[in-house]
Amino acid sequence: MEKTPENVSQQAAAAEAPLKLLGSWASSYTHRVQLALRLKGLEFEYAEEDLGNKSDELLRLNPVYKKVPVLVHGGRSLPESVVILQYLDDAWPHIRPLLPSDPFDRALARFWCHFADDKLGPAVGAVFASTGSEQEAAVRQVHENLALIEAELREGAFKGRRFFGGDEVGILDVVLGCGSYWLAVFEEVMDGVRLVDADAFPLFHAWLRGFEALDEARDTIPPVDRLLGYARGVRHMLLGLAGAGDGAAAPTAAAEATAPVPAPAATDIAVDI
Amino acid sequence: MASNGEVQEAAVRVIGGWACPYAIRVFAALKLKAVDYEFLQEPAGRKSELLLRTNPVYKKIPVLLHRGAPICESMIIIQYIDQVWASNGPAILPAQPYARAMERFWAQYVDDKVIAPALLVLRGLTDGDKDNAAAQVSNALQHLEEAFVKCSQGKHYFGGDNIGFLDLVLGSHLGWFKAVEKIAGIKILDEAKYPEITAWADRFCAHHAVKDVMPETERLVEFSVNSAVKTKPSN
Repeated sequence: MEKTPENVSQQAAAAEAPLKLLGSWASSYTHRVQLALRLKGLEFEYAEEDLGNKSDELLRLNPVYKKVPVLVHGGRSLPESVVILQYLDDAWPHIRPLLPSDPFDRALARFWCHFADDKLGPAVGAVFASTGSEQEAAVRQVHENLALIEAELREGAFKGRRFFGGDEVGILDVVLGCGSYWLAVFEEVMDGVRLVDADAFPLFHAWLRGFEALDEARDTIPPVDRLLGYARGVRHMLLGLAGAGDGAAAPTAAAEATAPVPAPAATDIAVDI
Repeated sequence: MASNGEVQEAAVRVIGGWACPYAIRVFAALKLKAVDYEFLQEPAGRKSELLLRTNPVYKKIPVLLHRGAPICESMIIIQYIDQVWASNGPAILPAQPYARAMERFWAQYVDDKVIAPALLVLRGLTDGDKDNAAAQVSNALQHLEEAFVKCSQGKHYFGGDNIGFLDLVLGSHLGWFKAVEKIAGIKILDEAKYPEITAWADRFCAHHAVKDVMPETERLVEFSVNSAVKTKPSN
């Protein structure tokens, strides 16, 4: 679509349209969008979804996945957190861009966002859903993944940076940051599991401290005691179901079995980073 | 391009495989932008030194090397190509933010959630119930049939007048759709069920940027049979 005067003013008008976010308070995918909206200084209405009893609105707005978050802008809905984050940049390009402008840097940011959701997140989820030797293997996987990120901070793509985005937070900070808080929470819930050792991953640790200290992050990430309570409930449920059936498939089993109220189905829980 | 003696490295190189949908979409994207590239076919059964060095995290094809700098993950590569060669021909991703987001959403749906995993089952590369996988693809195509109507707005491609991002992501799987129809003896691209997608599929495969990089069905079937023979234990 060309940048005709009509289209530009259409886009400007579109940018003014109200924003609504459907989310869940414990979902790190939801937090990503809330954080991005706050970073861009965009006002939005927030609707909390009970994932154990999804609203008609959610089912109508995200018929394909039926999940949160869903952003509604000017009457049009958009699911999938990373798709939403890129949309925010495209629709508000002049306000606090989340993606770098250089094509190669953009590709790198996208790559590590993909890695976060494709590898690191599921690995952390696997730790949370397992026990014994299976858990040990999952923990090793998390360490391997964190080591890759640590290496990029130490001598690779993100060397010398305060944040992955540079001096300011960018899309990768939002994606990794909204979810990394689970690492410490899970360590607390599961005795003896060390996920993000400050000695093993000093730069990642330092980055995370810096991220969590941001005003917008503090406004977005729920208090630790709430996260702990939630995580304990989920862990209890996952282990209970694992005991009854296929331990390795605990998260799936949790989704299919009747989840005890008020805990939502495990697949909706963004235990991923 | 020099190919002996003093080799001048091509500015754009793609580490890939002729039968790999993810590589095919990169080739097609480069052709759309009229960018010359050197195709580095990965050897069968092992990973090249270059691949391991340029994609140490995933060790997978395709990898785009632009003046030596590696870009990995096909959807990321396409967006890179779109940005770097923005002045070459029409844009691959639409300019309008919501349209862009919708193409990204459906592209993720195709690759991550539904079509790609199901195709692996149907090809016999991963374990799974083939009937389930076929049903999954069928369900996905139903969604994509509706998405096509919305995205194309009466034009020929998801991208409108020109091939775009979603066209490339979904279209690159068409070779294997057709091969799997033969291998598994099922009908995937059913004209009666998905008239728009079926018509689009023919247009896509005939497009100048695609026709030379989309392998013929027979070749893919043969490839599949040969791979199966190699991986089966001999007894």
